[in-house]
Amino acid sequence: MKPAPFDYRAVGSPQEAVSALAERPGEARVLAGGQSLVLEMNYRRERPKLLVDINGISELERIEEEGGVLWVGALVRHRDFEEPVSADPLGRLLSRVSRYIGHPPIRTRGTMAGSLAYAHPVAEWPAVAVALDAGIELLGPDGPRAVSAGDFFLRPFATACRPGEMITGVRLPLLGENSGVGFAEQRRTQASFALVAAVATLTVEDGTITAARIGLAGVAGRPIRAREAEEYLLGSPLSAEAFAEAGRRAVRETDPLPEPHAGVAYRRHAVGVLAGRALEQAAADLEGRA
Amino acid sequence: MSSESSRYGVEPGDYIGRRLPRVEDARMVRGEGHYVADLRVEGCLEAAFVRSSLAHGRLRGVRLDEARAVPGVVGVWSAHELPELPAAQPLFPAEVLEGRDWPSLATDRVRFAGQTVAVVVAENRYTAEDGADAVDVEVKELPAVLDPTKATTADAPELFEGLSNVVGEWGTGEDIGEDFWKNAPVVVEASYRQPPLAPTSIEGRAFLARPEEDGGLTVWCSHQAPHRLRRDLSSVFEIPQQKVRVVVPDVGGAFGGKSETFPEYLVVAYLALRLGRPVRWVEDRAEALAGATHGRGQNQRVRLAADRDGRMLALAVEVDASTGAYPHYGFAPLFNMLRLLAGVYKTPRIYARVRAVVTNTTPTAPYRGAGRPEAAYAVERTVDLLARRLDLDPAEIRRRNLIPPEALPYETPTGALYDSGDYPTALDKALEAADYESWRAEQRRRLESGDGSLLGIGISCYVESAGVMEEYGAVEARADGSFLALSGASSTGQGHEITFAQVVASALGVDVERVRVVEADTDAVPRGVGSFASRSMQVGGAALHRAALGLVEEARRRTANFFGISVEEVGYREGMLFAGSEELSLPELVERTGPLRVEDVFDPPQAFPYGCYVAVVEVDPELGNVRVLRLVAVDDCGLVINPMVVEGQAYGSIMQGLGQALYEEVPYDAAGRHLLDYGLLDYLLPTFSELPPVRLEEMETPNPNTPLGAKGVGESGCIGVPPAVVNAVADALGHPADLQMPLTPETCWTALCDRSAARSAEVRP
Repeated sequence: MKPAPFDYRAVGSPQEAVSALAERPGEARVLAGGQSLVLEMNYRRERPKLLVDINGISELERIEEEGGVLWVGALVRHRDFEEPVSADPLGRLLSRVSRYIGHPPIRTRGTMAGSLAYAHPVAEWPAVAVALDAGIELLGPDGPRAVSAGDFFLRPFATACRPGEMITGVRLPLLGENSGVGFAEQRRTQASFALVAAVATLTVEDGTITAARIGLAGVAGRPIRAREAEEYLLGSPLSAEAFAEAGRRAVRETDPLPEPHAGVAYRRHAVGVLAGRALEQAAADLEGRA
Repeated sequence: MSSESSRYGVEPGDYIGRRLPRVEDARMVRGEGHYVADLRVEGCLEAAFVRSSLAHGRLRGVRLDEARAVPGVVGVWSAHELPELPAAQPLFPAEVLEGRDWPSLATDRVRFAGQTVAVVVAENRYTAEDGADAVDVEVKELPAVLDPTKATTADAPELFEGLSNVVGEWGTGEDIGEDFWKNAPVVVEASYRQPPLAPTSIEGRAFLARPEEDGGLTVWCSHQAPHRLRRDLSSVFEIPQQKVRVVVPDVGGAFGGKSETFPEYLVVAYLALRLGRPVRWVEDRAEALAGATHGRGQNQRVRLAADRDGRMLALAVEVDASTGAYPHYGFAPLFNMLRLLAGVYKTPRIYARVRAVVTNTTPTAPYRGAGRPEAAYAVERTVDLLARRLDLDPAEIRRRNLIPPEALPYETPTGALYDSGDYPTALDKALEAADYESWRAEQRRRLESGDGSLLGIGISCYVESAGVMEEYGAVEARADGSFLALSGASSTGQGHEITFAQVVASALGVDVERVRVVEADTDAVPRGVGSFASRSMQVGGAALHRAALGLVEEARRRTANFFGISVEEVGYREGMLFAGSEELSLPELVERTGPLRVEDVFDPPQAFPYGCYVAVVEVDPELGNVRVLRLVAVDDCGLVINPMVVEGQAYGSIMQGLGQALYEEVPYDAAGRHLLDYGLLDYLLPTFSELPPVRLEEMETPNPNTPLGAKGVGESGCIGVPPAVVNAVADALGHPADLQMPLTPETCWTALCDRSAARSAEVRP
């Protein structure tokens, strides 16, 4: 479990990082928290010839809230979300989710952007990004561009990020005051990977659901949104029956892969339960503040 | 009294049963422990192994040229280049190995994924792995067989040409006969699977060999039995034992997986001798999970007959036990299992057969418990089935069958001689500590209210065997006032540095800080067996106790000679000798009469610690998650030297038992490759976050067969926990027919689905 030989370059700006990546087209990787990349390198499943260390780019450590959007720099660590970073319900959602990621040592190093770039099919942040229609900001040799989360994740460990590009930040829309958030995850031990996870947000006006977002992890090769379940909830009151039915509908939209100790049937069943529970949490979150 | 002992608030000599802190902890928690990987040996090279990625196949070729060209690589070898490389050594010689050699590097065949095929030696580990990466192995894949029962069938692939996959068959008792079963008032039957487990010590295996100028060999190894390793190395390399030195530095856990003379060790020692340079191999986690030994791995079929009052009449057990690809270690635990099948019950007839079977899985070996958990599980799960069949409370059916205390010592039909104890009291204490009756009432309340939550309570009573073989102990009084306690046991985390000192200081009546424990170095300790089978204190501690008492006697004799009086006139107290008006301290006696060391070798019969566990669990009816609400452990390990160390052993083995019950199983695909791409993210161990509320209760019946009275404590939890937890979950789920470990959420959910399917079938017209 030692990595194959590689070169290492520490950079001080996003432009410098992109220039460095361009020196070894297709063979260079960005090092942020390193919590997934270095593990893969130790197994020699990843063999970059060059690691571009972006940890010195202080502008990527920022979190900014402006114009109804939370901008999260590529070096913001999982643990930075533990205390809500925004007064918007989004702050509570990110806080709740962050506590499910790995364990404290991982959370102090790993980054949200790194998790998106790695695109593990059961990772939490990609499901959040998909649920919220996050914008993923990329910088490459041809300049900056943004890709919406729905188009970003392609397959397990494969994204729309091209060779030579890096994630500089993530744009997450604020949810608005009359919104509630929920997150439910099934895993076998406290520090294990999730088997399945569900993120839910609900926005309510006059007791009726006006917006619902459901993101699911571990039910396909990439994180998905349970659109049919979301639509079903529109116009509905907050009710346990509605959430359970939404959960059942969410199941239909999944196509999970089997793995030891979690076959397809179980994962499909579990996601229905978890989607229902995440919605119930979102409703309780709303009611708790009403 | 010295200021040191007042720190403990204990009088010198009064250390039995005291919670003295472990000596090694301070250095270990500060990161100052010294493991094989930490040693700085001049000129040391590092080895990396190329391992088979396939479970079964013919080895067509191993190409080494590219690896040899990697800068920094000193050498690369496969079996072809090393015809004199010795083969792996068995735990003890046995016929079952005939014709089934385990070459230290695969020769013409690979039989498990993870088997060593080639080795690279380089200036550092990184370069060695670059070399290993460049080795090309060509294997023609053969069909693999993973399950020991399937491996016994006629169409199973043959692992060793011309030889049966069944390498040995052993039994106990007389066949009970079908007539008996047909006529018995009540018979219950079940099949159980003991999945293969990875022992997973924090520190993996590690071995450093340095050839010496006199033709000898010095070895540093993370090992449980340094003298056996010395004997094996001496024998295979034809170096006299006195020229082979084995040193065991700090060890990060062993659990049975570090008792053996592994292929990797022989390769490294062979190359060190051949190259004339020190060579080290430190196992990494990927190697440890696939290439080190596994534990358990067997299929059990159990039949239990009883009368209508639930009195057990006969027990029959048939087992197919996987030894993995090579049978060198995996047959050893089977004898423990056979011997312990009576459990704590007076069942008059017991018949058991076990087949040891080779499969294309990682070789098995004794793993903490080593046959004891398998026996307890087979018995305790089936006793619960019987209780359910007869509609008796599981506690009550046990009460009706327990061996009463007045029957001890008790010889079981399987040939074990239980020394002492009180099994009914252990059960009562456990039930009381668990608040058993209240939980049963709560369970009834929930069932009646139909609120859907699933509560279960499980009991297991166990008895285990501790100690095997002799052990060496010696105590030396030194002129500087200190004492040496030399033991042939060798700690892999058991805390000998304080507990052995407590034994010796108590026997001598001296300050415990004056006793220094010496072990784990074959040059410092002339002979020894090691630390396994919960034997360190039972056997090794007793040997030290006897040696310390012997030292007092020798000191009295010398004092008598010195003053020209009879031994009877010499008194001894707290390190002082009294002869009439004269008195002499032990250091003074050493100064006047020369070195004073007394040796002992003690070989007591096995001891039989026992206990009772109760688990209370809740199962999430939607997701199948098991939550352990309460776990009570009552253990009687005989005389307790240091309760803190005993509790540490209990917690550790309880967690490993929870691991087996709920989380652990080495997963294989159909072709026999381990599904462990993410290491310990795929092979899940319980950690502190999974620790349930545990209550430990003690009983203390001294071992009548040793002068010290300790019975042994290393394995209780991993024996008692699995059946208690699985019985509890089975109770919560309404006793599903085929509930097998580990009880993952998916397993429990499937059982719940089966139950609702059965229910809806019942209501159909």
